[in-house]
Amino acid sequence: MLNRTIVNPATDIRRGYLHGELDLLGILETVAARRPKVLKNGLPNLAFFRAANAALARPDVEAEGIGFVQVEFWLTLAHEAGLLIENDSLLEPSAAADEFFASSLPERREFMRRAWLSSRHLNEFTLTPELELPGLKKGRTVDVTTDLPDLETLQAARRVLARAAAELTEEITLRQFVRDLEKQHRNLFINHDDDGSWRQVFYRGIRDRGGRSDLERDGNWDLVEGTVIGLCCALPLAKLGYLAWDPRNRTVGPVDDAPETPAFEIIVQPNFEVLAIGDRPDASALWQLARCSQPSHEERVRRYVLERKTFTAALGRGLSAADALALLERLSRSPIPQNVRFSINDWGQMSERIKVWPDALWIEAEGVEELAKVLPAGLVNRLGASACAGGHFVCAAPETAVLREVLPARRAVLDYSRRLPPVIAPGPGTELLAPREELHLRARRLLEQIAVPTSADRWQLNAEAIVKAGRDVGGDALLQRVREAMQRPLSDAQALALSTWSGRFDKPFAGQLDVLLVDNPEQAHLVSELPELAKWLTRRAAPGVFLLRAGGAAAMREALARLGVTMRADVRERS
Amino acid sequence: MKFHLHVGVVETADATTLDEALAIAGVAANVLARPVPNLALLEREDAEKVITALEERGLHPKVTR
Repeated sequence: MLNRTIVNPATDIRRGYLHGELDLLGILETVAARRPKVLKNGLPNLAFFRAANAALARPDVEAEGIGFVQVEFWLTLAHEAGLLIENDSLLEPSAAADEFFASSLPERREFMRRAWLSSRHLNEFTLTPELELPGLKKGRTVDVTTDLPDLETLQAARRVLARAAAELTEEITLRQFVRDLEKQHRNLFINHDDDGSWRQVFYRGIRDRGGRSDLERDGNWDLVEGTVIGLCCALPLAKLGYLAWDPRNRTVGPVDDAPETPAFEIIVQPNFEVLAIGDRPDASALWQLARCSQPSHEERVRRYVLERKTFTAALGRGLSAADALALLERLSRSPIPQNVRFSINDWGQMSERIKVWPDALWIEAEGVEELAKVLPAGLVNRLGASACAGGHFVCAAPETAVLREVLPARRAVLDYSRRLPPVIAPGPGTELLAPREELHLRARRLLEQIAVPTSADRWQLNAEAIVKAGRDVGGDALLQRVREAMQRPLSDAQALALSTWSGRFDKPFAGQLDVLLVDNPEQAHLVSELPELAKWLTRRAAPGVFLLRAGGAAAMREALARLGVTMRADVRERS
Repeated sequence: MKFHLHVGVVETADATTLDEALAIAGVAANVLARPVPNLALLEREDAEKVITALEERGLHPKVTR
């Protein structure tokens, strides 16, 4: 079938790193497509493992109890090599992965070999399905009381294995390879110098699969170290191109010295599917394709679906529509379907209409400053800053250390991931002082909510703006925000004005009022029921204290006189 | 020049598009600054809200992280 990547088992064993890298590519593509959540044990969930396993050239069979050894191996290695990062508990490919695939095949091979040789988290014993490690805890850590090799021993053993693989001159059986190693490097993983002493009768904490007790050291080198060496041959040594491994005959041999050259092509279909065809796909080109599409592999068919969301995400990483079309044209022997070409251009144009930097370094041009002329070229190039509207510059937020290296002298950075210092000070009257050099966006926004600028550093409280802000956020919240942004407390006059305009205080009244005082509570109750009082009453200030509209005192005096109540002449007088 | 680190930046082709983007994300009131009509500066979480809101509506902005 045309749309299937046919793999010839006879040639499969000689492919070395080029073949192994496709497995790494499959894992990374699965991560890119699924962005799996990292669970508490530090690994993605089972669904991810199944999907990643399916993306391998020779998937592990889960039902055989092997688990997903290959996925675990590549995932650990990719994580340690920095090709994968955790972002908000989600696993995703890093920028280093793009750089990795942009390098040449020999460079990539060397990079991955170094990653394996120096790996700190990979433990080949824990990956070997034939062995059972009772001391094994969750997350593939091991109990310190077992005979399992420590990190330094493992790293030294990897170097020995790599050397032994490089010295192979002809194809030999794995059994022979293991025997040779046993003769020359008996202490490869575990020290056997004192075997036979009462301390070293058993491989402590190491059992064969299903075993009920630790394996005896005597006669079991082949079973313990041998199986680990077998795993190393099948995985790191073969996949990283140290040796050729034939899984059917279980033989190892030297890899071909001839340079590995990729040979494949893609077919772009009108339904936006891209199929990779060929025996030796170029992982570098496929990774570029995977980064602007949705990898969706089925069995061993490498399928990439061009869709807008992933494509625009790639645009955000610096790809352009022209780059994407050029890539497709370069890899495809037949012309790109017209509708695909049109859509890619359209997606490119549409996404340019809205650009978002969710975590950015924004370089503000102040006044008539022309940043394009004054910004150091080193800063622009190193940070990848580009001009945005208004002559300002923007880029994704760099690491603080990187920014410090390229920052011009005597330039401060306002870091919005932290609480910024208060920069507003009270001035005379209702004026606020805010030095322009120190003014950050949060303080500026607050000032714009409550005041109007009168000069570069001075702002005047504005009643209209404060009324609006008070309505929007509430008087108490607004005052709280202002107080937090002040270097020194607001003056009494400013606090009064701000509170009043923001609606925190009721309006006080100053005008003509008549007062009716009734000391006796019962009398006060009876008076309060009079209809005449209701006509004139403005407010009941306290029990027996009635505030009346102007002229109300005379009217009440008259009304009460009809009931035999006469008024005393002085407020202090008591009967 | 002034360096503002860890802010969200939204730039659009025109001011109306920006108004709409901010409105559908419900962050119009939280804008830190609009130095020019088609450029808005936001807190980072508000910028993420803009991305989410746009993507939920089938619009895919160019996101640079």
